[in-house]
Amino acid sequence: MLKIELGAGGAVEIVGRLDAAQSPAVQAFLDKVQGTVTVDCSKLEYISSAGLGVLLKTQKRLLGSGGKLRLVGVTRHLQDILEYSGFDQIFEIVPNG
Amino acid sequence: MTPGSERGVRLARDVEPILAVASKLAAPFDLQTMLTEVIDAAKQVLDAERASVWLYEAATDELMMKVATDMAAVRVPAGVGIAGSCARTREIINVPDCYADPRFNPEVDRKSGYRTRCMLTLPLIDHKDVLVGVLQVLNKRGGPFDRYDEALATAVAAQCAIALQRVRMTEALFEAEALRQEMEMARVVQQSTLPSTMPVLPGYDVYGTFRPASATGGDTFDLAHTEQGFLVVLGDATGHGLAPALSVTQMHAMLRTAFRLGADLDTAYWQLNNQLAETLPDDRFITAFIGLLDASIHRLRFHSGGQAPILCYRPASQDFSRRKPTSFPLAAMSLPAPRQAVKFDFDAGDILVLLSDGIYEYHNAQGEQFGEQRVEDLVRAHHDKPMAELSALLLQAVRDFAQGAPQEDDMTVVLVKRDAVRAAHQSFERRIDSLQQIFEFTAASFARLGIDRDHLHAIDFTVEELFTNMVKYSRMSSAAVRLDLARIEGGVEATLTDYDVERFDPTETPDANVTLPIEQRTPGGLGLHLIRRLVDSIEYHYLPETRQSRITFRKTAGTARPHEGPTGTRENDAED
Repeated sequence: MLKIELGAGGAVEIVGRLDAAQSPAVQAFLDKVQGTVTVDCSKLEYISSAGLGVLLKTQKRLLGSGGKLRLVGVTRHLQDILEYSGFDQIFEIVPNG
Repeated sequence: MTPGSERGVRLARDVEPILAVASKLAAPFDLQTMLTEVIDAAKQVLDAERASVWLYEAATDELMMKVATDMAAVRVPAGVGIAGSCARTREIINVPDCYADPRFNPEVDRKSGYRTRCMLTLPLIDHKDVLVGVLQVLNKRGGPFDRYDEALATAVAAQCAIALQRVRMTEALFEAEALRQEMEMARVVQQSTLPSTMPVLPGYDVYGTFRPASATGGDTFDLAHTEQGFLVVLGDATGHGLAPALSVTQMHAMLRTAFRLGADLDTAYWQLNNQLAETLPDDRFITAFIGLLDASIHRLRFHSGGQAPILCYRPASQDFSRRKPTSFPLAAMSLPAPRQAVKFDFDAGDILVLLSDGIYEYHNAQGEQFGEQRVEDLVRAHHDKPMAELSALLLQAVRDFAQGAPQEDDMTVVLVKRDAVRAAHQSFERRIDSLQQIFEFTAASFARLGIDRDHLHAIDFTVEELFTNMVKYSRMSSAAVRLDLARIEGGVEATLTDYDVERFDPTETPDANVTLPIEQRTPGGLGLHLIRRLVDSIEYHYLPETRQSRITFRKTAGTARPHEGPTGTRENDAED
């Protein structure tokens, strides 16, 4: 299952598996964030291309208003996907640990 | 003639028989003949009526007369009587008139009716100064023995001692050789009862092997079809010499007979124990694992009389489950009633590991034991290999560990492995909400099939992309989508089958251009682009007669990762 919430330090925390079935809920959540937003991915177990689409759409919206998404705690699996998809050139990425 | 020249004549006369003695004593190889030769030589050289030889036995510190002319065998403690005194002091004793000497025992004469007048008693000492026995020469014709006779007798005695010792040592060697041959025979019998070829048990890989120690040991094993099930036995009898080999051979035969006669496992074990308890000596017992496997339901029922550890490797958890012995060793005491066997259910890929303590307790030169940990590590590392190979690796590991330290006990390996499942499949309803079920299935299957979890993300990602495509683009079909997973060398193969659909080959869609600036990037087409990089291969097949779309892809350890080298990224300019 998947959980998305605002963490203690103001970062958005995504916990669990972000697949096609879960992406509408995540999209709805991220549609409301503004400015520069840190996304804590350390507990994001899995992401599919649908999940990447959610991140891309949000990034485009935020960049338009001078903000952006920062991805922190990026795990190996996510790092692979981000690099394969060229998203490492679109997002600021802080690897895990 | 001067006294000196008379002595010279006597010497010349006597040298001949002494030389004759020397050549005669060189011939015999058995003690009996040698003793006769020694006695004849002494009588001849010293011109005496009788002679006898006492053999010294160091173990009991006794003199034993094996043969004497017209006399029965007797034993005398060293130090007692004339012969005993001679053995103790190692000095020649010349008694000119026996009946005047208090050390003389006239009882012997009284029994034999012979009258001993004079007697010369000499120690038989070999060239290594070892006391071999005592030579007694009786009744010199023409009077008591003189100093010259003493010298002559000493010369004869020295030769006799060496000859006797040689024969005794040769006989000891022969006896040891005879024992060795008997042992060898018992070992041949012991080994002849073991399965020479491995029986075939469908759905299982079974293997057993026996490595005898050179000296002693009493291992046995059995792997055989019986009417009651597939018999699995490992036994180890205690004791030294011939006994253990004979005990386990007996047990082996009794078991086979019991099952041939239709006995059930519990009764067979009970009767076997009680029979062995009756027949084996009180200080001996046999540790034994005796089980019957019903391969149709994968259930092993067993008794283990003191045979431990009973290890079972379970690939699903990559760990071992252990079972305790169900009872005391066979023959330790009687069982008043049959006991119920313990059950063990084999899951796919499980390996029952039964090893005799000759393996666990094999010592290297430093006195360290091979131990359980090494066994577990090895089985865990090689559980995928055929059991014959695993057994060979295990024995090789023991040899490597021993570094030349000798094998002191039999080593026996019995391995029973239920074939690992290499494939699994499940069908899923054609909707996005099925993804959770799909991921549960992939995770569970990876564990069950023993697939490296490192590949799970790539498989989940790929399955999701292809499955969601099917949901999106084949809306006309209501059939479930089937996912097959199979373990392959170094990784996994997955196949998604979509039923009742038109041909649509997603692998033909062009790659996304991932180098475009963000404003030109869209999520579409990214999935296939990523799949091509995450998995080794992807193939599409369409079966028009059944309207099946089938996509197969593989992921192995060989797939390059982006930060580990060339990605094989196919850059192209195609639009999404």
